[in-house]
Formats: sequence, structure tokens, C-alpha cells
Amino acid sequence: MFPIRHPAPLRCFALLVVFQLTVSSVRPTTSPAAEIPTPQQLEFFEKEVRPLLVEHCYSCHSVDAKKLQAGLYVDSLKALLEGGDSGPAIVPGDPDASLLVEAVRYESYEMPPQGKLPAKDIQTFQRWVEMGAPWPPEAPPTQQDSRPEFHLQERVDQHWVWKPVTTPPVPTVRDTAWPRQDLDFFVLEKLEAANLQPATDADRSALLRRIFFDLIGLPPTVEQAEKYLSDPSPDATERLIDELLRSPQFGERWGRHWLDLVRYAESRGHEFDNDSVNAFQYRDYVIRALNADVPYDQLVREHIAGDLLDPPRLNPDKGFNESILATGFWFLGEWVHSPVDIRKDESDRFDNMIDVMSKTFMGVTVSCARCHDHKFDAISTADYYSLTGFLQGSDYRQVRFESLEHNRRIAEQLSRLDAQYQKSVEQLLSSDETKLAIDESMDPEATQSILFDFGTISKDDYLQDGFTFGSAPHRSGQPMLASAGETLSIRFADGSAAASDSFWNGLESVSEKGVNRQSRLSKLPRSGRTLRTPTFELTDGALACLVRGSGNIVACVDSHRLIAGPLHGETVKEFKATDGWVELNLSRYLGHRLHLEFSPNQDAQLEIFLVTQGASSQVRDQLAKRQQQIAESVAEYTNLVREHHSGELAKLATAWSNERAELRSKVMWRSSLAMAMMDGTGEDAQVLIRGNSSKPGKIEPRHFLTAVTGDQPMVIGRGSGRRELAAAINDPSNPLTARVIVNRIWHHLLGRGIVPTTDDFGVLGQRPTHPELLDHLATQFSADGQSIKSMIRRIMLSRTYQMSSRADADAMLADPKNLLWHHRPPQRLEGEAIRDALLTLSGQIDLTQFGESIPIHLTPFMDGRGRPGQSGPIDGARRRSIYTAVRRNFLSPFMLTFDTPVPFSTMGRRNVSNVPAQALILMNDPLVVDLAKKWAQRSIEMHDETASRIHWMYVSAFARQPSDNEMAAATAYLNDHADPRKGVKDDVQLWSDFAHALINTKEFIFLR
Amino acid sequence: MTQHSPFPCQRYQKQFSSRRDMLRRCASGFGAIALAGLAHDPAYGLEASASEASASAGELGAAGHGPHHQVRAKNVIFLYMDGGPSQIDTFDPKPLLDKFNGQNPATLFEVEPTQFNNNGNVLASPWKFQQHGQSGIPVSSLFPHVATCVDEMAVVRSMVSEFPEHTFANYFLHTGSGLQGRPSMGAWVNYGLGSVNQNLPGFVVINGGLIPPGGLDCFGSGFLPASYQGSVFKPSGSGVANIAPTEPTPERQRQKLDLIGKLDGFSADQFGRHDSVDSAIRNYELAYAMQMAVPEVMALKDEPAYIQTMYGMDSDYEPTRIYAAQCLIARRMVESGVRFIELTCPKVGGDRWDQHSNLKDGHENNARAVDQPIAALLKDLRQRGLLDETLVVWAGEFGRTPFAQGSNGRDHNQFGFTVWMAGGGVKRGTTYGATDEFGYKAIENRTEVHDLHATLLHLMGVDHTRSTFRFGGRDMRLTDVKGHVVHDIVA
Repeated sequence: MFPIRHPAPLRCFALLVVFQLTVSSVRPTTSPAAEIPTPQQLEFFEKEVRPLLVEHCYSCHSVDAKKLQAGLYVDSLKALLEGGDSGPAIVPGDPDASLLVEAVRYESYEMPPQGKLPAKDIQTFQRWVEMGAPWPPEAPPTQQDSRPEFHLQERVDQHWVWKPVTTPPVPTVRDTAWPRQDLDFFVLEKLEAANLQPATDADRSALLRRIFFDLIGLPPTVEQAEKYLSDPSPDATERLIDELLRSPQFGERWGRHWLDLVRYAESRGHEFDNDSVNAFQYRDYVIRALNADVPYDQLVREHIAGDLLDPPRLNPDKGFNESILATGFWFLGEWVHSPVDIRKDESDRFDNMIDVMSKTFMGVTVSCARCHDHKFDAISTADYYSLTGFLQGSDYRQVRFESLEHNRRIAEQLSRLDAQYQKSVEQLLSSDETKLAIDESMDPEATQSILFDFGTISKDDYLQDGFTFGSAPHRSGQPMLASAGETLSIRFADGSAAASDSFWNGLESVSEKGVNRQSRLSKLPRSGRTLRTPTFELTDGALACLVRGSGNIVACVDSHRLIAGPLHGETVKEFKATDGWVELNLSRYLGHRLHLEFSPNQDAQLEIFLVTQGASSQVRDQLAKRQQQIAESVAEYTNLVREHHSGELAKLATAWSNERAELRSKVMWRSSLAMAMMDGTGEDAQVLIRGNSSKPGKIEPRHFLTAVTGDQPMVIGRGSGRRELAAAINDPSNPLTARVIVNRIWHHLLGRGIVPTTDDFGVLGQRPTHPELLDHLATQFSADGQSIKSMIRRIMLSRTYQMSSRADADAMLADPKNLLWHHRPPQRLEGEAIRDALLTLSGQIDLTQFGESIPIHLTPFMDGRGRPGQSGPIDGARRRSIYTAVRRNFLSPFMLTFDTPVPFSTMGRRNVSNVPAQALILMNDPLVVDLAKKWAQRSIEMHDETASRIHWMYVSAFARQPSDNEMAAATAYLNDHADPRKGVKDDVQLWSDFAHALINTKEFIFLR
Repeated sequence: MTQHSPFPCQRYQKQFSSRRDMLRRCASGFGAIALAGLAHDPAYGLEASASEASASAGELGAAGHGPHHQVRAKNVIFLYMDGGPSQIDTFDPKPLLDKFNGQNPATLFEVEPTQFNNNGNVLASPWKFQQHGQSGIPVSSLFPHVATCVDEMAVVRSMVSEFPEHTFANYFLHTGSGLQGRPSMGAWVNYGLGSVNQNLPGFVVINGGLIPPGGLDCFGSGFLPASYQGSVFKPSGSGVANIAPTEPTPERQRQKLDLIGKLDGFSADQFGRHDSVDSAIRNYELAYAMQMAVPEVMALKDEPAYIQTMYGMDSDYEPTRIYAAQCLIARRMVESGVRFIELTCPKVGGDRWDQHSNLKDGHENNARAVDQPIAALLKDLRQRGLLDETLVVWAGEFGRTPFAQGSNGRDHNQFGFTVWMAGGGVKRGTTYGATDEFGYKAIENRTEVHDLHATLLHLMGVDHTRSTFRFGGRDMRLTDVKGHVVHDIVA
């Protein structure tokens, strides 16, 4: 209905300029600019105007500017007429239409930024433009550096990543005995070329610990370690890898890697750290998807457009829609309540969504092009805004994902059932002489104020979350069954309306308990029972909806939904039983984009007939009266029909009602909720000049990155177009997606990506150390059906992965940075792995999977607004770290110290810092000390002898036996410091101290 | 380090025959190396820097490292006035407000949308202003003690921010971006200059009780390595988390550490030699030293009674006592070489400096909490000869409206507000910039938050355009792509 944004004031202005210039070009002789200025005018310019320009503007807007601002030069008339980013700077003869004048008046831009000029100087500019901007004929000053131009194709040609993925032949090597996997040839070839020796194979203990932590993020138990270490068969490693790939803990380990990419958090940050309600469902989705080894292209598809997949991927055990859960990733960012500039709030949210999406899936920094064409990469500002268009047509909802598919089938059956009985009723009445005559005509004045008429709304515009409002609006006179509570009978719709169906009364939606939920919307029962209008632009603040029933209307302006605090309360309107107009005063949002959402109160009904914009009370009265007349006609007809056909109608009503009741008994009433997308009105976005949301520019049709597919508009059937976007990301000709994911896997297994900058394959990122290897893996990945597990397996079975951390001395000298992979450097464990390992050693770990997060433990140092009322348990309920709540404003100090990222953007490569605070935590943190003690107690319980206790502790902590030196040092420590009253054997404190010491050795937090 | 910045970034580093040598000696056992020798080496704090600028892991992007020019300020004390103190009630007198008191502001000037949009009439300041010192800078009666220090101060009356909401504005003031997750000023300063004292964190936040809206992320290291993040101290007790040993006696801990050192020595061969492991070993010695250093800097009882009295440690108003302790600890930290110390406000019962109503009581309580301690801090730094190398910054995230919110409050105002700086190479006894005649919008020498940051870095010897860290394909700066040094307030 309103497919594109209407021109904002600035665009009107731009049109005006075009018009002016057109006139000028047609009649050049009368153009003010082309008139030859009089000497007096020129004198005025030289004496009054040019000095002002030089003094106040040149430092940023001339060829001498250190850095040109806004692409605008003011040092020649030609430049002023051409203008900068925002269009022409002056319109000779028309000061009010001249941006330059506007800017010095501080009306739109505020120039100069240091302070408004004195009124006299502003007058001068005004007069100068008025007289036609006289400027002496002179060549524009020459630019020392020509204006930097953005040549997208040139950049595509010059940077490796835009080239198609190749299938390089496996290289030949001299030492053919060394490689085990194809990928090893690529590594060895370079080492041989540099005359470097690869490190020896890692010893089996090192390899065992590496494989366990890399695959499941947990250490092997003593039994697992002993089993592997004593297994002499050549395929022992392969079997171990396969076993761990099948482990349910695999998804928790690799899921955490994935969560780093999507800035996963369970609160919104900002001032009050509101809940990101049910974010944990997304976390659980990721774990399940990785465990199920969902092909990567499917994973991508589900993230981008999982709500639109037909059929969706169903959970194999419970049958619910898995795909839709992935779309929650879009909404894991920060949300702000009561933003003063609500449009800027939206553009910031979109920016984060585009940023995360483009880095995660394509390894390019599209967000760098928000304010200007990318400074380095082949990405234009138009590309950026073409992508925001996909978001503009996409909405947030809490979806009843568990019941969605099941109830969809019921809804379809219900729709067929109703149609069948409607037909029966119509057939019954078809031979009657009396026909229902309804006059639905409308006064032309009233028509103008109608925004939506549910009597005429098209099928594509009938959008809802759930099925409560049926497959289409009721049409006046349409036969229907009297709703629950009324006497069982056939009645006829007494108006055209979107109407909720009492069939669905009783839906129960389950949310997590949560901590801090201030949004007014979260308190309304909306999930699965909300109708939404298409998106429109507000041209008059007075909206009114003709409704019957009770419920609420939410005006979703600029997709803002965290309704809390002093502002924007007027966007939510709750109403009790009403038969008439419900008004909304939205004058604050004139010119903004919005849509309306309607939901009935719990177990109540709601019909929506009309929505008007700017209708006078007379018009509204008239429309209400029209509605009444329609109802009266229907009532009259109903009486008549009931007289004639009472028997048949009663029979039909009973049968219809029975069939409905039977169907109703199959409804899945209870469902959990999760964040998800919902398709709205397909729209293209406007370019925002310099990224400024108050400076909208031209419309940019939706398309994929120009560098990959060109800038032709994408062919989009209907709605947001995200399905098409997903297809473009997955297209084999897109050189980014496969390279990015295999590089991520390599990064996690080898400690450094082939492209070290995992989230930036652009010009400012680093180049691949082994470009052929990268393409080889990308090709292999596609051939393997995009299986992440297969790729992990390939890499882990390689000789490259299994190299020792002890480098060959010559190789170390020649290639100290290990760019050629001559050894596998020690990897420090992440905070999560360290904590999970401690829980494992202590025997405390609870491997329960999934569900609501364990509240974060709050130390006295964690303070601020939105602090949860209750602290979580210090041991995180002994669950794995991935199940500890991630609250933006209350992140775990333990995790932060070990570089768990702050969730604000994609972080495919964590920092690995090495700071004393880490030592302080391992030395003094009460949880660490406590777990050390529990580990010591286990060893005491299991073994009597000092030596066997030490032995057991070494194997459980390091997957290896202690050396003689270590055994001697440990024994000496124990003997020297035992409490003489207890002796070594019974001194629990002594053993706790020893356990604590082992935890603090570097081998505990580093993988060899 | 194989690459060297053209600017020496390790001013405090003593030379060892080689870094590896030093690490070896360190690794050979605890206590084998004197603490005095534990000089800063940026590489130690960072095994694999995620700065995408360096061609390999382990090296800081050379480009961003200062100092780039003359250093005026070695340390910063940032007195963060949470909530947005009112400029027209503190340092920016506007007599016209008295004249138009009670009138509809819309008849006098254009009123912009505000956070609460519940705008009342023009509200004159309830406090009287007086000129002070030789400079004659006017200060309201809210700050009788600070007023005695005006000759030390450069008062900037033309600050503007981009955000009228607390959280955005807090992030913006602290990190140069309105969004969450960017590195804080303190992190940038330490990233740019390194830390003098290895036994204390380079960026400390002494929390008086009010963590600002936006939370601890105001003090985060963002995409910079974790070593740069602010450590939150309390102004009492052990100060910081995990600093107190859990062992019953120091000997017991020492024995444990000796065993750790020994075992690490044995397993070193299994690893091969790697800087990352060596650095982790060295951290234990540093952590051990930190356990000593923190209680020392927190030991306010060592201060003579007259100093404690001067700061207000014996005030009968508890928030004053808390802030006094914060200021005193800050001074002691400056003496110990902590680069960047931020003080948050104590709780005064009502709200932070965020008087949407009850302006009079709220501002008086907040001022009372900080006035005497701040004045004492400035005088104490001066008498110890530390003020010239310590930059003290007093700033809120925005100011307040000259018209009322409701009847007796003021709403947020980002269009014009006041901050002041003292010491650290700032021009003494000066004012800079101006708001309009109602104190609503800055009209002369508008100073943006980016300009404040640029100036702060400048005073510390850092060129804000050159202190960069590559992240997400961009060379990130504290000042984003903006910022101008305000040379007019630099001495």
C-alpha cells in the first residue's frame, strides 16, 4: 500500500533545486548565476562575502582544507552550485532554498560549528545569494589532491577476496610421507619452499587434551584419558574425534564460538539493562543446530530468513519449528528506552544488525559505509542502505515457536471447515428471494481519511502473528457461527472487519522468568494473537480505529518497542470493552514510518473495522453511523432468514459447531516464546546522508553487495525479501561465505585464521597466509555438503593440527611468527573452558543442557542501574559457563578478565590477553579455591597413598603422568608443609593447597 | 619487539640484555627478580592483540603509540559528575533568568524536545553567584570550597554533547561513542602511554556508590585488550576484588607460589619456549606484588590528621566522607603512578545530579558531597608539586535546561553546559566559550566531547589522530573521526 518512503522535506527541497537548475539550463541568459555581475556586486562579494567564506568556512570546505568535510567546497561558484553530500549549497536568487544560508542560520546544519555567526554576517550571505551569488569569472582553485573518487569496480579488481573461489590442485611435496590430509600438502609445500622443518607430532597426552578442549571444551576424565592413552590402535585418534563430535557437549563448545559472532546477550544494556526476553532460546537453538550438524547454508538461511522457510526445519524430537528461532540473532543487540530521537534510534539498531550480519556471514565491514562509501573496500553507501531495506520490512515478535507449525495446520483446517459451512449456508439461502443488500459506500471526504479499511484490504496486507484473526477479514453479511457465549446459531457478519476468533481463546504463552522487564509491551498478551497493518507514513497525528471489543493497539513507530520511561507512552493504547472509535494522538511522530498492531485482551474478542488518519469528528460520526446501518441491514436480514430456515440453520450450526469443537480439541494451547522475525511490508530504504537519520536522501532499492552481484534491484516476490537475501549470501558464486566459515573453523582449531582477521576480509584486514589452502578448504566444504563437523574432522586429522608446540629451532628463527605453520603454538584456554574444567575436576559439574540461564553471581563491585535484585549462586549452579546469564551491564568479571568479549558486535577472534588480574583470580577467587578443595577431597577419597593421589591429580588435570621431578617436588611440598598434628594423609587443607597450586600452573590454562 | 615506533612508547622500560633473558630469569623461580625491574613492556600485557593492524599477533600497532609530543600531564583524575549538573546553577551565571523567571520559554527562544517533554517556565537559579580569586571567575554558592581554587581552573562554558539520554551521553563522554562496548578514556590513555606502576592497574575507578547509567561498560576496554579495562575500587576495605590472599598466612601463599614456580619450570620443556607462557608465569610475580601495593595505596590511616580533615574525612555528612576518601586515594594513586583515576559520585539519598525535580535540595546535597574534597584535592596536589603533572577534569554527561521541568526541576540539556579542568598544563584562571544569554545553547567556541577528549590526550602528549587501534576494518580512535584540541585552554 505504501511501498516506499515518501519524500521528506529535504527531498522536496532537492526537487526544487532540480527544478531551478532545469530552468536555468533552459534559459541560460536569464539565469541569475549566469548574469554578468555588476562591479558593485563584485565589490560587495570581495569585501564582504569572500572574507567570511575564507575566515569561517575554508578550513573545512576548500582545496586547502586539511580534511574536506561533507564533500563540499565553497571556494568557487561552480563548487557551490555542484554542492556536496547534501546537494547544491546555493540556489542563486533564493536564499531560503540555499543550504548554505540555512546552515549559517543554524536551521538545519549548524555552521560554522564553533558558533553561530553574528546576525550581520548571516545577512551578508543572504543578500549575496539574493543578488544571484555574484562571483568574478575565475578558474576554480586547483586542488592539490583531487577529490578522492570511489571506484567500486576498481576496488573489486584489486582485492583478492572478490575473486571467485578456486579449486587449486593439491601441491606436490618432497616429503610425501608427512601429509595425512590434502590440506597438509598445502602447508608442507610452503614449509619446504622455505626450507623449514615442521615440528614433530604432539605427544599423545598433549593431543588428547587438545582434542577434548577443542571439540567439547572440557578436559578428559581420568578414565577417558587412560583409555585413549593405552589404546595402541592406529585409528584411536580418529575414533576419539568421532566420539567427541557426537557428544552433546560439542554444541556447547562451538555454540559459544558462534555466540561471540552474534553479540549474544540476555539483556539490552543501556540504562536499566532490560531483559532480552527469551534470548536463551536462541542459544539453545545454536547448540542443537551445531550438534545436529545442520548444513551451513541452511544455518545461514535460517538466520537470515528462518521465519519464511517453507517447509521449516522441524525439531526431530518435538516437531517444533527450529528454523524460525535463528532469526532471533537479529535482535540480540542493545535496545534503548525513551530515545528522544526515535528515528536515530532505529538507524543505530539497523546499523548494528547490518554490522553483525555482514561480518558474521561475509567477513566484510559493510557498516563502515554507513556515512560514506567505504574508505577501503568495494562497498558503497548505497550497498549499506540497500541492505537496511531488508530490515525495514522485518519486524520483531515473540513467537509461539513450539505451537506454530502444529496450530498452523489447525488454522488451515479451520479455514477450510468454515469455508465449507459458509458455502452450505449460502447454498441454503441461494434460492431465497430476499437477498442481503448492504450499502458499503462511503462519503468521498471520509474515503480520504481512511488509512485501512478491512473490508477492502488485500490478502498480502493482511498480516498477523498467529492465527487468531483468521485467514481473511470478515466481509459484511458473511455467514458465521455465533461466538462462544452466545446461543448456538448461524449469524452474519455485521460489518467488514478483521476479527479475532474465539476458537483460539485459551492460548497460553510461556516466557522465561527474567529479571528486569520494564517494557509495557511485554505485559500484554500479544504473542500469536496480533494483527498488524502495513507500514505507512504518518501525515496527521490523529489516528482513530473503529473497533468492537477490548484489547490494545500498539503504534510501532520506527520499529521502536522498548516502551518505558517518560517518552513514547502514547504509542500504546489499551482499551476496555468498546464499540466505537479508539483514538491515538501521535503528533510527535509526524513524517515517521509506523504500523499498528492490534491484540484482543486475554480470552476476549476484538474486531477492527476501519483506521482513519486525520478524520474530523464529523467524519468519524458519519463512519460510525455507516457501520451501524450496515449492522442494521444485516440484523434485518438475519431475522428474516432465521424465520424461513430455522430448522436447517440450527442443524448446520450444530454440525459446524461440533466440527469446530473437535478441531479445537487438537489445538496446542501452551507454547514457549522466543525472539523472532516477522515479515511486514516490503520496503526500500532511503540513503541517510552522512549516516544522519535526519537527512534522508534517495531511495536505494534492495539488492546484495554490488561487488558480488551488481547493483540491480533484487527480484523480490513479496515482503521483506530476506529469503532472496539468504539465497544471495549462499550462492556459490559469492566468494565470501564459504571462505569466511572455513577460516573461522581453522582459527578455532589452529589458533589463528588463514586470514587472521576473521571478521574482516577487506583491505584493512590481513591477507591469507595460505590463499590456496583457504580456497581448497572452501571447495572441500561445499563438496562435503557444508558440514561443519566434517570440516573440523578433516582439520583435526591433519598432521598440521597434530604438530607439537615445540618448534624446530631453525624454523623458529626463520619464521618466528609461525606464519607458515611449522608448529602449533600453545593456546590459552578461554574463561569458559577454564571454569568448566575446574567444575569437572572438582566433580561438581552438572551437564544438564539448555533452558533459562543461571543468574549471574553479583560481587559487591558489580553495581549500577538495572542490577538484578538477586545474585545468582557463586558456582553458577555448577552448570557449564554457556548457561550463565549474560547481562550486558553485569558481565562476569571472571570471564571479562579472560577476554570473553563484551557483546556489542561480531568478535570472531577474541583477544588473548595475559594480565596479572588473571593470576589474581586463579590465586584468590573464592570459587577457584573452593573447587580446588573439592578436587583435593576427591583425590583423598579415591586414593590412600600420596603417590597415587598425585598421580590421579596429574592425570585428571593434565591428561598425563607426573614426571619424576614433579613427583619429587610435589612430595617434598606435601611433606614439608603438612600439619604435624594430622600428617600428610589426613591434612585436607594441605591437599587443597596442592590442588590449588596445580590449577595455578601454566599447563592448566594452556594447551600444549 | 622487532618493530619500533618512531616515538618511544616505552619510556619507562629499562633495558635488559634481551627480553627473553629477562623472562628466563623470571621463570626460574619467584623472587629471583627484583620488582623494581618489572618495567612495562606492552607486549607482556598482550599475547595476541586483536588489533588487526599488526601483520602478526603480539605487537601493538606502532602508529598509535605516544607520547607524540611534549607531555604536560602524566596522570588524570576524572571527577565524573553523574547525572548532569546544571551549568546555570554552578559556573555559568545568567542574570537574564532572574528577569524572565516564570515566563514561558517558548516566547523567548526555540525549545528543543527534551527527555521528559514536560517543560515548564523559565527558572532562575536559586543560588547567588560571586566572583572569586584573581581571575574573578564566578562560582555559585553551591561550591564555596571549589570557588577558592578558581585560579587553578580553566572553565569551559560551551560544552555540547550529542545525546540527551543518560546512557548514550555517559558512553559518549567516557568512550567517544554513544553506543555500548567501546574503550573508555582511561583505557585509551593506558593503551597510548602504558602504565608507570606495574603493581597497580593503570586505569582505576574509585566507586563512591553510583555506577553511572550504562554500567561498568563506561569503564570498559571495548575492543582493546582486557588489560586496559578500568578496575573498580571501593574507597574502603581491601579496595578491589581478589586482592586479598585466601591463605591463612603470607608464608603459606609464598610456599604455594614457590611450588607453582617449580612445577612451571619443569613443564616448560614440554611447551617449548613461548612468550605467552613465559608472560603468564611472570604475571604471578606481578599479582603477588599487586597484593602488597593495593593495601598500601588504600591505607588512608597513614595520612596525617590535618590532611584527613582538609579533605573532609571527619565531615558530619557521610557522602562527603566517602568522596573525601575517594579524593585522597586518588591522590595517593597519582603518587604511585596510576595513569587514569575516575571518581564516581557517592549516593546522597535523592538522585545523582539529575534533578528533574527538587533542584534545590538535590543539587545542594550533591555539591555538599564533593565540594570540600575536590578543593582539598586541588590544594593538596598543588602543595605537593603534583598539580602541574596531574590533569583534573570535572564534568557531567550534559547540563540542564534553563527552564523548569514541572515546577522545580530541570531536564537534560546537551546543547550547552560547563566542564572545568585544572592542572596538567591547563591555562590557569581562565574561562572559555559561552552559552546564549539564557545559558541554554553554546554559541561561542562550541566545544564538543570529542574536543574535550582531543585536548585531554593532547595534554598527555598524545595526538588523538594517531592513537589508533584497528578493529572491524577501521582504525578506531577515542575521537572517532572528529575532535580538535582546544589550544586556547592549554597553557
